Formats: sequence, structure tokens, C-alpha cells
Amino acid sequence: MDQHDANRYSRQIRLPSVGEHGQQSLLDARCLIIGMGGLGSPAAMYLAAAGVGQLVISDFDRVEDSNLQRQIAHRSVDIGEPKAISAKRTLEALNPRCRITAIDWQLDDEELADQVAKADVVLDCSDNFATRFALNRQAFQSGTPLVSGAAIRTEGQIATFLPQDGGPCYQCIYPGDLEGEESCALEGVLAPVVGVMGSMQALQALLVLLGRTAGLAGRLLLFDALAMEWQSVRVPRDEACPVCAGRKAVHDGD
Amino acid sequence: MPTVAMTPHLYHFFPVLENRKITLAAGSVVELLAAINEIAPGFTDYVLDDRGALRRHVNLSINNTMVVDRKKLTDHVPDDATLYIFQALSGG
Ligand SMILES: [Zn+2]
Repeated sequence: MDQHDANRYSRQIRLPSVGEHGQQSLLDARCLIIGMGGLGSPAAMYLAAAGVGQLVISDFDRVEDSNLQRQIAHRSVDIGEPKAISAKRTLEALNPRCRITAIDWQLDDEELADQVAKADVVLDCSDNFATRFALNRQAFQSGTPLVSGAAIRTEGQIATFLPQDGGPCYQCIYPGDLEGEESCALEGVLAPVVGVMGSMQALQALLVLLGRTAGLAGRLLLFDALAMEWQSVRVPRDEACPVCAGRKAVHDGD
Repeated sequence: MPTVAMTPHLYHFFPVLENRKITLAAGSVVELLAAINEIAPGFTDYVLDDRGALRRHVNLSINNTMVVDRKKLTDHVPDDATLYIFQALSGG
């Protein structure tokens, strides 16, 4: 870490839970973020600002007028641009030292598996169940921690899944083939709700990179914005889960 | 008596359940859901499939721990417990 970085990240380095060693872990890290919409925008911006060295951002949609109310990585001049490209510009302006790889096409299974395996942590900021289940499978296949967030209307959910700890996965909470998909386009969403959840995803990803996962393991957080309440639900592993059952915890030195 | 709470979106479909404290006799999850259905007809159709198992996008917790038995809903909800009903979100 040079003087520039030591100064830029000084307010984080000052924290006993981060320190120079922790900040160096962030500078050395590579995060994959799937979706550059309402969740992915703040998540990527906080990770870039906090000094994560490399971000791979994936989205094949283009910026639309109706996205701008909540997808804060994009601006009015970006309408019609691929979201991955538009977000890359925002992130590079925010932190020129952060290396951004923009993927503006739909990843096939092989490409997704490759990207998940290369990442130190994956953030699921997608807007559909098919992607959520596919990412969960890939994360557990490669042993990559997964921070899964979702938000709609005035509510949100977030959970971090830690394959190496022998913890539960997304499919332990919701068995596959979900019916009744809802979209923000049809249901609506209050702008800062995705900001709260996306920022929380960035925070949980940083905790993973800092090795501070004790508070994350086996927990699902539910946010009710109207009531201003959070609920924390303990998630046991489903012993019959087709994705994670039988997986053993991997400890250093094993 | 256990208390029942749920994700706010469910009140949209069952407004009769909103703004009231729902307390029911202790029992198994399936018994409590049946009791909610008495207050809000159609509720069990929304959360259970035609075989009486929990629908895939629905989940329940008892005192903030997810229920184990999704198929027959035999988990016991004790007197001092809160049964919370929530569902998967896909938006992002
Ligand atoms: Zn699982």
C-alpha cells in the first residue's frame, strides 16, 4: 500500500477491525457483482469507494428512463447505454485505481462458473429467481462466498452464504423452481429501499473479505421499510438440499 | 398464546389481518395456519400447495428460526412464540 492509498483509506484503516492488513486484503480482492440495477449500483459504488481492488460487473440490460429513480450508478445521459458500461464509467470516476471489468452480455453457464470461481466474493444483485438459483449452485460448486440481496416495494432480504463453513445455501431457504416472480416494474419500489439493501450487501461483502463472518453465518435478514424493522431469521441447513447437503466445512490446514 | 406476524405484502391480499394482534392457541404450524384461515379465508391456499405443503416461495420462522418441516408442517409453535410468515423476493 502506497501513501496515496494509506491516505485515501485512512478512515477505514483506523478501525481495529480493518487496519492496514485488512485494507490490503480489500485492495487485493476481486468481487463479482451480478446485476447493475437498484442493488448493484450502490453495492458496486461502496465497494469501489472502500478500496476493493477489482470489480467484475455484469448486466446485459440497457439504462432506461424509469431506472434512474433508484439505480444510482446511472445518469440521464446514460439512457440507452448498456448498464455495465454506464456503471463502469461511474465507478472509474469514483475510484480510478479500482480495476473494473464490465460484462454487458448474458453469461452462459461456463462463463458464469469461471467468473464465480475467480472471485473472492460474489454479490447477487439480480432481479430474477433463475439467476439466483444458478449463482447459488455455482458459488457452492466453487466454494465462493455469496451475498444474496433482494428488494421490492418497501421490503428487502439479505443473506450471505459461506460454502467453506458448511453453512446453508439459498436453496435451503427457498427450494428451487419458484413460482410467482415479481418485478419492480410491476410492483413498484421505494428508491432508498434498494439503496439500503445494496449498501448492506457491500457491507457484508467487506466483512467476508475481512474474514469477519461470525455475524453472517446462517442468517437471513428481512427489512420492512414501512415499519422500520429488521428481523433476523436463523437458517438451518436443509440436509436434503440438492445443492449443499453433505458438504463439509473446510478449515485452514485441512 | 403464540403471536402471528407476516411480511407486509401479505396484508395487501388479506387486509383483515392488518393492524391487529393475531394470537392463536399453541399447536403445530398447520393448526395455526388453519386458524388464520378462519379469520382470513383463502390464506392457506396462498401459502400451501394442493398437497398441504408450504409453497416454494413461502417460508416460516418460529421465534426467528426457520421451520424444519415444510411438507407436513408439524413444527410446534409454543405459547410464547411468534410465527412469522414471509416469502421470497426476486427484485433487484
Ligand atoms: Zn442448501
